[in-house]
Amino acid sequence: MSTLWQTFCSLFAAHSELRQIIGVTLRMACTSTLIGCTLGITLGILVGITEFRGKRAILRITSTLMSLPPVLVGVIVFFILSRSGPLGQFRLLYSVTAMVISQVMLITPAAMNLAATAAGERMGQVHETMAGIGLNRKKQIWYMLYECRKQLSVILFLGFGRAISEVGAAQLVGGNIQYKTRVMTTAIVLETNKGNFDLALALGIILLLIALVVNVIAGRLQKGNT
Amino acid sequence: MISMHNVTQVYGTRCVLNIEDMSFEPGRIYALMGPNGSGKTTLLRIMAGILQPTTGELTGFDPASTGYMPQRAYAFGFSVLKNVTMALENADEEAAMEALRAVGMDHMAQANGSGLSGGEAQRLALARMIARPRRLLLLDEPTSATDIAGMGQVEKALVDYVDKTNCVLVFSTHSPAQASRFATDVVMLQDGVAMEMGDAKSVLLHPKTEAARTFLQHWQIRTEE
Repeated sequence: MSTLWQTFCSLFAAHSELRQIIGVTLRMACTSTLIGCTLGITLGILVGITEFRGKRAILRITSTLMSLPPVLVGVIVFFILSRSGPLGQFRLLYSVTAMVISQVMLITPAAMNLAATAAGERMGQVHETMAGIGLNRKKQIWYMLYECRKQLSVILFLGFGRAISEVGAAQLVGGNIQYKTRVMTTAIVLETNKGNFDLALALGIILLLIALVVNVIAGRLQKGNT
Repeated sequence: MISMHNVTQVYGTRCVLNIEDMSFEPGRIYALMGPNGSGKTTLLRIMAGILQPTTGELTGFDPASTGYMPQRAYAFGFSVLKNVTMALENADEEAAMEALRAVGMDHMAQANGSGLSGGEAQRLALARMIARPRRLLLLDEPTSATDIAGMGQVEKALVDYVDKTNCVLVFSTHSPAQASRFATDVVMLQDGVAMEMGDAKSVLLHPKTEAARTFLQHWQIRTEE
């Protein structure tokens, strides 16, 4: 155990780039999870607690988008942000912002669909109770969020998991630029291609450790919520 | 005075409620009775403003001062006390505790709402309703999951509340015994139509229509008397 720890310590000390890669990865994953889940959960709760024409179609579309290939999202964002694309003037291609945009596109529909389903399941029971008490719409949404907190925390961690482990879109729109847009997944691909298996493996283990920490936090949150 | 005129509720081609004229006076307790699917819940939901009627006119209704307790009582996943204060604008804990005491739930004030039994959740939901003054209180089978001792306590709390606030209380029930000891008036519904409405004793003991007679005979109200 101490040998493994020493290996990691020396790896961190020797590779300032490694620390930088982890920093960019966490920044990109946290920002996209925050934006994607805020958008998706808010829209999902609204769709879940409101009855309107086309609701089923929206849920079907978001359900389909949940299995959207990340590479396809990468291609779409690449097209939009490239110089000749509609948002080319902002020069966002090959930046962390571009990577965040692609991750948000991947996370939002999934968060929306899962939140709508969670809110819909509670809808019948909770909505009439809240309306019967005379709570206003704002309070109704707040209490609905509170009652669905267990499912919502799962959505949050699913979103983070998707963002941190994604490679296709990150590679396409980020360009895997050293000290700028290189994240752990794209670095693993690069180091493997270069034959630096020790570094690739170390990165893989760190990625796994981050996933483990996130899972432990998610588990504790869920336990606390029950 | 709260009243409704020519209120109908139609789903597709099926008319589930058809009320020509109905009025409710302050300080009185109305029991809605009738077989399953007779329109009791639909009527309560329309009065609560949760359901928009297909046609008709409602007068004297004030959503801000109306309380509606659905058939399936729901307790939120925080303390019982907070479950009651959430219904109060100033989150007055004293008023909440008084309401909990009235329904025999004060000893569980700090318990988590998600761990309550069906009967406890029902009494909690009732405490939420009576924690502040309202003009109209609508309760859908408020004691269906409550034990006999609890039922007596709840009925007393509701009678006291009506006496204190002079509100209109309308509740649905399947028990003619409960209606006879607790309600001042009874509304008999069948297929969405009010067959009879009037003083509880006279409707329950001397029903005028054949349908009401059959309905009450089924529950042997005379034996219970």
